[in-house]
Amino acid sequence: MASKTDAAVSYESPRLADYTSETEADRGQVDLPFALLSLLLLTVGVVMVLSASFARAYYDPSNTTGGNATYYFVRQALFALVGVGVMFLCSRFPMGFYKRISSTVMLVSLALLVLVLVPGIGEKANNARRWINLGFTTFQPSEIAKIGIIMYFALLICNNKDGLKNLKSLIPFGICLGMVFVLLVLEPHMSAIIIIAAIGLVMLFLGGLPLYWFVGGGAAAAAVLGVGYAMFGYVRDRFSAWLNPFADASDAGFQIVQSLYSIGSGGLLGLGLGNSRQKFLYLPEEHNDFIFSVVCEELGFIGAMLILALFALLIVRGYWLSMHARDRYSALVGAGITTHLAMQVLLNVAVCTNSIPCTGISLPLFSYGGTALLLQMAELGIILSLSRDIPEKR
Amino acid sequence: MFKKRREGKDASSPNRMMLRRTLFLMIVCGIVAFIALGARLFKLQIIDHDMYETAAVEQQLRETTVTAHRGTIYDRNMNILAMSASVSNIFISPAEIKMNEENPVYIAQGLANILGLDYEDVYQKTLNTESWYTTLARKVDDDITEQVREFKANKGKDAMGNPVADEKDSVELTGVKIEEASRRYYPYSALASHVIGFTGADDHGLAGLEYYYDDVLAGTDGRIVRATNAFGTDMMFTDFEDYYDAEDGQSIVTTIDATVQYYLEKHLQSAMEDYDLQDGAAGIVMDVRTGGILGMASLGEFDPNDYMTLSPEIEERIEENSTGLTTEEHDALVEQERQEMWRNKALSDTYEPGSVFKIITLASGLESGAVTTNSTFFCAGSINVLGRTDPLNCANIYGHGNQTLAEAVMHSCNVAFTLIGQYIGAERFYDYIRAFGLFDKTGVDLTGESGSLWWDEDVFFDKNNLSQLAAASFGQTFTITPMQLITAVSAVTNGGYLMKPYIVSEVLNADGTVAKQTEPTVIRQVISEQTSKTCCEILEQVVSNVNEGTGTNAYVAGYRVAGKTGTSEDVLYEATHGTKKYIASFLGFAPADDPVVAVLVVLENPGPENTFSVGGGTMAAPKVGMILSDILPYLGVEPEYAEGESAIVDQRVPRVIGKTPEEARQALESVGFTVKSVEGSGAAVTAQMPAGNAKVAGGSEIVLYCDAEPDKEPVEVPNLLGLSYEIARIRAGWLGLYVRGEGTMLNSPIIMTVDQSIEPGTMVDPGTIITVTMSDSSKLTIW
Repeated sequence: MASKTDAAVSYESPRLADYTSETEADRGQVDLPFALLSLLLLTVGVVMVLSASFARAYYDPSNTTGGNATYYFVRQALFALVGVGVMFLCSRFPMGFYKRISSTVMLVSLALLVLVLVPGIGEKANNARRWINLGFTTFQPSEIAKIGIIMYFALLICNNKDGLKNLKSLIPFGICLGMVFVLLVLEPHMSAIIIIAAIGLVMLFLGGLPLYWFVGGGAAAAAVLGVGYAMFGYVRDRFSAWLNPFADASDAGFQIVQSLYSIGSGGLLGLGLGNSRQKFLYLPEEHNDFIFSVVCEELGFIGAMLILALFALLIVRGYWLSMHARDRYSALVGAGITTHLAMQVLLNVAVCTNSIPCTGISLPLFSYGGTALLLQMAELGIILSLSRDIPEKR
Repeated sequence: MFKKRREGKDASSPNRMMLRRTLFLMIVCGIVAFIALGARLFKLQIIDHDMYETAAVEQQLRETTVTAHRGTIYDRNMNILAMSASVSNIFISPAEIKMNEENPVYIAQGLANILGLDYEDVYQKTLNTESWYTTLARKVDDDITEQVREFKANKGKDAMGNPVADEKDSVELTGVKIEEASRRYYPYSALASHVIGFTGADDHGLAGLEYYYDDVLAGTDGRIVRATNAFGTDMMFTDFEDYYDAEDGQSIVTTIDATVQYYLEKHLQSAMEDYDLQDGAAGIVMDVRTGGILGMASLGEFDPNDYMTLSPEIEERIEENSTGLTTEEHDALVEQERQEMWRNKALSDTYEPGSVFKIITLASGLESGAVTTNSTFFCAGSINVLGRTDPLNCANIYGHGNQTLAEAVMHSCNVAFTLIGQYIGAERFYDYIRAFGLFDKTGVDLTGESGSLWWDEDVFFDKNNLSQLAAASFGQTFTITPMQLITAVSAVTNGGYLMKPYIVSEVLNADGTVAKQTEPTVIRQVISEQTSKTCCEILEQVVSNVNEGTGTNAYVAGYRVAGKTGTSEDVLYEATHGTKKYIASFLGFAPADDPVVAVLVVLENPGPENTFSVGGGTMAAPKVGMILSDILPYLGVEPEYAEGESAIVDQRVPRVIGKTPEEARQALESVGFTVKSVEGSGAAVTAQMPAGNAKVAGGSEIVLYCDAEPDKEPVEVPNLLGLSYEIARIRAGWLGLYVRGEGTMLNSPIIMTVDQSIEPGTMVDPGTIITVTMSDSSKLTIW
């Protein structure tokens, strides 16, 4: 599957150590603004996990923390430390390495998506089988699938000479996306489908897919949404809860109403760091999908906008780096990862503010979740890696 | 290889289109979308901030009410008329029962048992898990509350109600809640109930002083506002908690005197029975010097402790009248009867005062100079009045002949008063009526005061029709309230000063300090002190002149009682019911030379079982006399007996036990008693008959025992009716019995015993005291 021309050099040194040792000296520095923005957001994110989670950890209604108020924080902080290491490590691997393992990552993703459906391996919660328990932590194969799609689509595009102009060249993309979608529908996992669909489309868009496809793509997306709406009762409920959350504020609209209370009560300056009241078990998923609502409540409009601005800078910088990437694969992977990051941030904030129907999308670098954080850090590391190949300005 | 690539542009480099599209994504995902979300946040956090904050705070804060203690109502001697005691409301929180996995069956059984409720009802309530507050019982007493508290503590049991091995593992039942509340108690039950009023379930006044002074008495409930988590327990790590202290209500001290009120009600009650009154009775006792109300009563009465309950007689009446009525009509009837029962007649009912009003006409006539004490009036039994087709008749159709002013008042002569009215003139008369405050409400500090109804000036002032003026001069064709009348008459008696009547003399803070004191308020001086004095002298003769006075039944030995009778017909009642309804009233005051207190008694509609002749003099005057004779000594007014009066006046028997027989004899004789015999031969008195401090007729013969056993052989009560008081005492004395007098204690041959407290023929112990009622039973209906 891998490109014969591009990968020729890399194939000479198949072992990991070779990439790092041989090429390290030739590569430039990581992009400092991107690295610093990432670390800054990660730090703020971990602090917010502490603030958002301690009430739930203390009261421990689900009997997980043993009443230890810093339970979630300590775990998240540990993962963040490891995550920084992972980001650093990923920035060390040359982009050629990623290109070569792209197919493997995709295959592993598919394998995991199959595995998670196997009872006993995949953990079922809320009528969905999305999690694989590793003992010390759990993770969602769909998270790996996202990066798998990015890397594999980038690879396919690089290998495609005619720029996705004919229908035949789209077949591998279609098959790949199709398989992932089917597996995700089986879980089911709507939000992952949305993110992966968005990432896939963006990759095709960048790969040169003629724009008229997107008209059709838009129709297809609407169709997917329509099918989802028709097939899944919970999707319908989400829509009606979105349109009028206060109609059923104690049930279907509960999460969104509580989120709006949090955000709205923050006002201009917020209640102050650590002073959220909604986190006292009113707001569900307060250290997870709705952590941004706590941010809004505690730091106010000013604080929330500041954090959004940091994210925006990170995303703009990500695209900027991708545009300046040395090769096409790097540019595609960089833009794909940045798009993934942007999608997560935008959709998460949109959900918190009830701008779109409620669906479980975490906020990168903020939401509690170890493996997801590690993967996010890895993705950022890959962008840092490509940034090192950018020639200095003359 | 890498180095080479870095420098050269080849096919693997991003192409121009890819860069354009990435730039497009950068703008959309990195800038435009964020601006959109920023706008959304601005809407939520800045524009709609207040709305969301209010809603959020509402769910985050739990408010607990701290009930303010309602103030006490005291009488003028600090006897408690109304007080609050703390009780509890018991409620459950089904939401917490569910949340904390408590056993609804166990809780329902336990509480139903303690509170005496139906298990199934309670169980159904525990299932309504949306609710955080479902009341099971209100105003529960302390002992029951204690049982609930014990049940809630749930010692030795878990949340399911199962026993636990270790007491440490006991789980308190969070779903069971106890809330402090307070309950109103009225220690004197029905006493002064129309004045005091009552409070409703929410502890706020619904009637009487409880209503009028609700703001003062209620205080302000305190609140504890706590931020709580979604489970309703404290929000940890935050100290958001606001206390708003409860401010206990202030207490009020009234001018009501429980003792005076008791006597007032007692004698009104006896009037109810004696005269078979169909529409109740009302009475007011006023301190004429200040306008303070010592007593105010309306009968039939009700018990504010149980203010919804109708008396058995009323229940019976409703039962009789409700055949064929729908439930709604029946309920309306019950409600109507309740309103009637709660009605403070003395303040809310208006009536034609009749001849009592002649006091005002008299004062106006004297003050205006239209008449003097030397004026004479001829009564031929009737008089022609301009504007009337038929002549106006006097009560005495044969005519009172030539009378002085005082005689005209004594006779209550309508002809004379028609003339007095004409001498005063309609305009001037209205000026006086206005000055006496009879056009306005008195402004007494009680709810439900009614106003008066008078002829319009253009009718009353009509020079060609004097019939309204004539009727008004003897108290007819207008209506006023008993409160207005006694207030105006008080002004006549007290030197001419119209006082603003009041019932609350002091407002006390919760710590007992005085917050506010009511000073007697003079509204204006209506008549001169001299006119006032003259009126009192004339009005005293109404009572004291045995031969001429119409109010002699109000006489109280030892006291200079003055007053005026009144008998009126309820014209409206006659028009609607077809039968006559009489109102007998008497307004008395004493002492006539320096009035302290005025008593007005209004008796409505004597019924078929009434054996007395209908009239203010025969019915109301004796009751006013009895009230005055009970309250004047109590109020510290010293009696001054006329010559020979002491013989018939009741005295307290001195306690002589322990004295030598000779000392005892001296002690007894010094107050007008004699010693009938000394039984036994001991050196000291060991027993006496009647006992010390008993009140019996003056001159009674006392038996002393010195080491001898008192005689226990029962004797038969003799018939004492139709005798003078002295003869009654002597006849009883023959049998070793004693008498005590009530009613018209006047030394006159026409005053006779009309009633005795123990029926003739009853066997009683020697020394028993029989109360006899004295009355001038010779008098006919007095107008």
